[in-house]
Amino acid sequence: MSFEIATNNLHEKQDKKSYDRNKSDDLQISRTDMNMLIMNYLVTEGFKEAALKFQQEAGLQEPALCSSLDERIMIREAVQGGRIPEAISMVNALHPELLDNDRYLYFHLQQLQLLELIRAGRAEEALAFASATLAEAGAADRTALTELERSLALLAFPDPHASPFADLLLPSHSQKIASELNAAILKMENQEYTNPKLCSLLRMILWSQNELDKHNVKYPKMTDLANATIEQIHKLRR
Amino acid sequence: MAAMGSGRGTMDSQNQVQSDTVDRLKLLYPNVNEDETPLPRSWSTKDKFSYIGLSQNNLRVHYKGHGKTHKDAASVRATHPIPAACGLYYFEVRIVSKGRDGYMGIGLSAHGVNMNRLPGWDKHSYGYHGDDGHSFCSSGTGQPYGPTFTTGDVIGCGVNLIDNTCFYTKNGHHLGIAFRGLPPNLYPTVGLQTPGEVVDANFGQSPFVFDIEDMLRELRARTRCAIDELPLPAEQGQWQAVLHRMVSSYLVHHGYCGTAQAFSRAAALPIAEDVTSIRNRQRISTLILSGRIGEAIELTRLLYPGLLERDEELLFLLHCRQFVEMVNGSDGETCGEKASSNGVATSVIAHTGRATNGQDLKHTNGVTEESPPPVEKNGVNGARPDADVDMEPAADADGDGCGGRASVERMLAFGRELYAMSQRLRPNPVHKAMLEDAFSLLAYSNPWASPVGAQLHPARREAVADRLNVAILENNGMESVSPVEACVSHSRMLLRRMARAGLGACAFADLPALLRR
Repeated sequence: MSFEIATNNLHEKQDKKSYDRNKSDDLQISRTDMNMLIMNYLVTEGFKEAALKFQQEAGLQEPALCSSLDERIMIREAVQGGRIPEAISMVNALHPELLDNDRYLYFHLQQLQLLELIRAGRAEEALAFASATLAEAGAADRTALTELERSLALLAFPDPHASPFADLLLPSHSQKIASELNAAILKMENQEYTNPKLCSLLRMILWSQNELDKHNVKYPKMTDLANATIEQIHKLRR
Repeated sequence: MAAMGSGRGTMDSQNQVQSDTVDRLKLLYPNVNEDETPLPRSWSTKDKFSYIGLSQNNLRVHYKGHGKTHKDAASVRATHPIPAACGLYYFEVRIVSKGRDGYMGIGLSAHGVNMNRLPGWDKHSYGYHGDDGHSFCSSGTGQPYGPTFTTGDVIGCGVNLIDNTCFYTKNGHHLGIAFRGLPPNLYPTVGLQTPGEVVDANFGQSPFVFDIEDMLRELRARTRCAIDELPLPAEQGQWQAVLHRMVSSYLVHHGYCGTAQAFSRAAALPIAEDVTSIRNRQRISTLILSGRIGEAIELTRLLYPGLLERDEELLFLLHCRQFVEMVNGSDGETCGEKASSNGVATSVIAHTGRATNGQDLKHTNGVTEESPPPVEKNGVNGARPDADVDMEPAADADGDGCGGRASVERMLAFGRELYAMSQRLRPNPVHKAMLEDAFSLLAYSNPWASPVGAQLHPARREAVADRLNVAILENNGMESVSPVEACVSHSRMLLRRMARAGLGACAFADLPALLRR
């Protein structure tokens, strides 16, 4: 068989395939894959009840719940509920060396405790706590010092919630620390993915957009991840 | 509609891949879309100097000139330039014979570079020469680079499309970077200059001597690190909230009501839609996913009157699936009716979807004339609060307590109705193909094992359920795509954009691996 004939056949086949493939590009990825992406989030982030319910509702296989899931849920709840000493003692019971090795994470937990005192309006206790436990960490680490300063600056405002540093008192701040802690525990337990895949997906978008920006390539930019808002390319020249 | 057609396409091409022999190049460069940027697979029969002869499927190159001076040098380029989406590109050349003097050059050149030359001598041309081991970077004067090469040696040429560098290998050993700052769209190129010189190319169709996979893995890991350690933008504190909202909106979108509620409690995040409304959508989706299309259609009519009448394509799609499920023996409606199959004359569609008949279909806007009587409509309002009907989790086809297939007469009658319905719709090749596939099922005594059996698979219900769900969401004034799914599509689009802009890094941002289970 001569090569030319082979090529022609190949072309015909590819034409047909490309017709199909172009269409499948528009296709959403399979529901099962999407469900697994969400399930992965629920499991790694320790949303046990939701994970079990999801398995039932979406007809998925039993989620591979990690052994420490119950502990991790309790720890997360304690952190998000502002019960920091309780959370710290639970972490120490689960992995005694974790907070010894990761001082910056430990600092973040103590910072949360400080913020709880500030939130409760116990200014003197807050100052005493800061100088007794946090100053040392702040001296050792430039970033930690800045964060400590921001936290203590809240005391200078009659209503900390209306101050420029109010973001520290939002639930999102304690949620962020709770996730850091959760990831650290998972890493300790040698889980393959400490970051949920959903996280990587969003980071991949940010990374791609960064790369395209760096090379001055025009593209429709996603400006708001949570709502998946995509900014259209402006055709008008200014 | 597109979703349905493409579901079909994907399955077909998957079958294709399985039956073909494995295409090694596709495995090496999975991110390259060969419809846009074909991979070099052989030497070009046109883009070569006349002193070059090709054989063995245009992979073997031999010299057929006089070879007196360097003016007799001759080169050949591959059929296509190296696509940036390869990320890391590599090909090998085996020296079959060094001929008289072994003046052979292996390398890269841009489109249009003179072929009466060895690679490396001109602008946008790069080569590694066998007689002296020098590298030639767009210059007639070489730089000492590596060892000489001769008969029996295998020389590899690699292009890193992230940092635009080129390296060579000799018999599987990396020789270090030869060129930096390469322009885009270079072609693999070899050049020969004396009689008897023969070389064979391996563009990846056979295993390489050098372990390129190892380098690919390394680059993949490095890119993954770059992505995972990317500093988050200013709203970093809100990162967690973004993720939570994304999960919640997905659960709500697809009607995973109980999960959405459980997640909402744990993450202290309110749900964006009325719970009853989510549950209604969930009930309909569950019916479809368990193959009970007839019931799903009825419930949709009850809860969202007018919706299906306004969207005839959707109705057609549902009935088409219903037909497939009749073959499957999972459409509850048909099972219930099988005892009273008293003849072909009854219109099956009118039977299953109670408001649908020929007249209705002709109306595009006026809907209610032939619709259920007012009593039913009151029933609708009464039905909404009764959303506490327990939903069983999506069951497989056989879970419905009636496994019997509808009689052939009923299926034929239904099929005729379906055909008549398709005739009233705008002509659409996807519809036509869908209908043909569905009808083909009747030709087999064991349709599950037939060539068209794939459509019986319960996974094929997903697209139908999604299509209806989207129609209901749009009907209720909500987004048709959940943010997390929009993110997946957007990410895919961005990677394609990078490939088109020549950013090789896109090759190693492994979206499919991320989504793979």
